[in-house]
Amino acid sequence: MIEMIDVSKTYKNGVMALSDINITIPRGDFLFVVGSSGAGKSTLIKMIFREELPTSGSIIVNGKNIVHLKEWEVPYLRRNMGIVFQDFRLLPNKTVFENVAFALQVIEAPRREIQKKVPHVLEMVGLGDKGKVYPNQMSGGEQQRVAIARAIVNNPLLVIADEPTGNLDPDTSWEIMRIFEQINKAGTTMIVATHEKAIVDGMQKRVIAIEQGNIARDELKGVYGYED
Amino acid sequence: MKIRTLEYFIKEAVGSIRHNGLMSLASVSTVALTLLILGMFLVMVLNLNHMAAALESQVQISVYLQDNLSEQEIAAVKQKISQLPGLKKIEYVSKDQALQRFREQLGEQQTILNDLGEENPLPNGFDVIVEHPDQVREVAQAVSNIKGVEKLRYEKEIVERLFTITRMIRTVGLIIIVFLALAAMFIISNTIRLTVFARRREIGIMKYVGATDWFIRWPFLLEGVMLGFLGAFIAVLLLTKFYSVFIGYVTESIAFMPILPSYPIVIYLGVFLLGVGMTIGALGSTISLRRFLHV
Ligand SMILES: Nc1ncnc2c1ncn2[C@@H]1O[C@H](COP(=O)(O)OP(=O)(O)OP(=O)(O)O)[C@@H](O)[C@H]1O
Ligand SMILES: [Mg+2]
Repeated sequence: MIEMIDVSKTYKNGVMALSDINITIPRGDFLFVVGSSGAGKSTLIKMIFREELPTSGSIIVNGKNIVHLKEWEVPYLRRNMGIVFQDFRLLPNKTVFENVAFALQVIEAPRREIQKKVPHVLEMVGLGDKGKVYPNQMSGGEQQRVAIARAIVNNPLLVIADEPTGNLDPDTSWEIMRIFEQINKAGTTMIVATHEKAIVDGMQKRVIAIEQGNIARDELKGVYGYED
Repeated sequence: MKIRTLEYFIKEAVGSIRHNGLMSLASVSTVALTLLILGMFLVMVLNLNHMAAALESQVQISVYLQDNLSEQEIAAVKQKISQLPGLKKIEYVSKDQALQRFREQLGEQQTILNDLGEENPLPNGFDVIVEHPDQVREVAQAVSNIKGVEKLRYEKEIVERLFTITRMIRTVGLIIIVFLALAAMFIISNTIRLTVFARRREIGIMKYVGATDWFIRWPFLLEGVMLGFLGAFIAVLLLTKFYSVFIGYVTESIAFMPILPSYPIVIYLGVFLLGVGMTIGALGSTISLRRFLHV
C-alpha cells in the first residue's frame, strides 16, 4: 500500500533529515516508527501525507507516486488518510460532534452521511454520550479520542499518528493504543510514531527504528530497543 | 457547488465579518466613501457630457444688434445674413420679445427682473438657424463681420469650455479614486488577514482532512466581496439621495439647465458601483490569501 524507494530529505536550511530510506508497508499493517528526538520520524510521516516532499526518491501510495501529484490532487490523497497529532488539534468553539462532523463537512459529504457516521465513530472511540460536550470540558485522553474519531470518520485506508500519546499519561496512552488496534483489526493500515518504549514493547508490532535519518532496524514484532 | 456548501461559506463569512467588528466597519466605510466619491464624479461627468451633447446639437446663433439702428439698417443686416450659405431660417427678435422670453425661462425666479422697473437692457436681434451644427462656426464668423451687429452668442464655444472642464474633472477624479480604491483594498486585505489568523487552526485541520484549496479560500473571498458589497450598497443609497436632492436644487434655482433625470442613471450607476465594490473586496481578500493563506 505504501512504498518508499530511496527517499532522502534535506530541508532548505541544509539539515539532512532522512537519507536513502526504503520501506514497504503492506495494507493492514500496524507499524511503529521509533527513534530519538530529531531522528526524522515526523519528516517520514509528513512525506506520506505530502506535507513535505522528498528531495529525491519515490513514495508510492496506492500504486501512485505521490511525489508527482499536482497541488490540487493532494486533498484527494488525504481523503484516504486519517491524521492524528500529539496536540489533538480540535476546534474549541465546536462540540465533539461538530468537530468530527467538520471533517466530513469540508469534503462536502451529504448531511445524511454525516448524521449516520459521526455517532458511529464516536461510539467506536467510547464517546457515544459526549457529542454535545466541548473539547475544553474533556480530559486529554478524551480529546485525543475525538481526534481519532475525526481521523477515521471518512473510512480511511490508512491512519497516521505522530506521537499521539505524547501528552497523555501511561494508562490513557494504552487506551489510545487499544483503539488503534481495533481500527487496525478492521483492516486499516496504522502508522504510529512514538517515543514510548513501554507501549512499543508491549504491543508486539512491526517497528522501524530511525537513527539520524537512516533506518537502523525494521523488525516484525519488534521492541523499542533504546533507553532514552 | 452544493447548496449546503454555499450555506457554510456564507455562514463563515458573516461570522468573520461580525467577529472582526471594527475592522469590518472600517472596510465598509472606506469602500462606501470611495464609491460615493466615484459615483459623484461619474454623475458630474455624465451630466457635463449630456450638457455638451445638448449644446452641440444646437444650430441656433443669437445675433444682437447695436442700439439705435434704424429700421432700414436692421432690414439691411437681415438681408445680408439671409444671403449666407447654410442658412435655414432667420427671425427678428425685438427687445420686448427678448425680455418676454427671458421671463419665461426664469419661471418662478422672474421676480429678480422686478428691480429693472420699466427699463429693458436687452438689445434687438435675430435668431439665426443654420442647416447643420457644423456650419455654426462659419456662419457666426461671417455674421460677426456684418456692420450693425454688436455681438453674437452660440453654444458651441461653451461646449468647448465644457469639454476642458470635463477632462480636468476626469483626471482629478481618476487620481483620487485610484488612491481611495487602493486604500479600500488595503483595509479589506488587512481585515481578511485577521480572519486568516483567527482561523488558522481550522485551516490546518481542513487541509489535513482533505478540503480542497478552493473550499478553504471561498469563505475568505466571500468575506471580502461582502464587505465590498455592503460599502457599495451604502454608497449607492447615499448617492441616490444626494442626486435627487441635487436635481431638486438645480431645477429650482437654474431652471433651464439640461440635467440628467435620476432614472435611469442611478440604476446603471448602482449596478456599476456594486460591481466595483465587490471587485475591490475580491481583490483585497486575494491579496491577503496570497500572502497569508498557504494552501
Ligand atoms: N521544517 C523544517 N525545516 C528545517 N529543518 C527541519 C524541519 N523539520 C524538521 N527539521 C529537522 O530535521 C530533523 C528531523 O526532524 P523530525 O521532526 O523529523 O524529527 P523527529 O524524529 O520527529 O523528532 P521528535 O521526536 O523530536 O519529534 C531535525 O534535525 C529537525 O531539526
Ligand atoms: Mg516528531
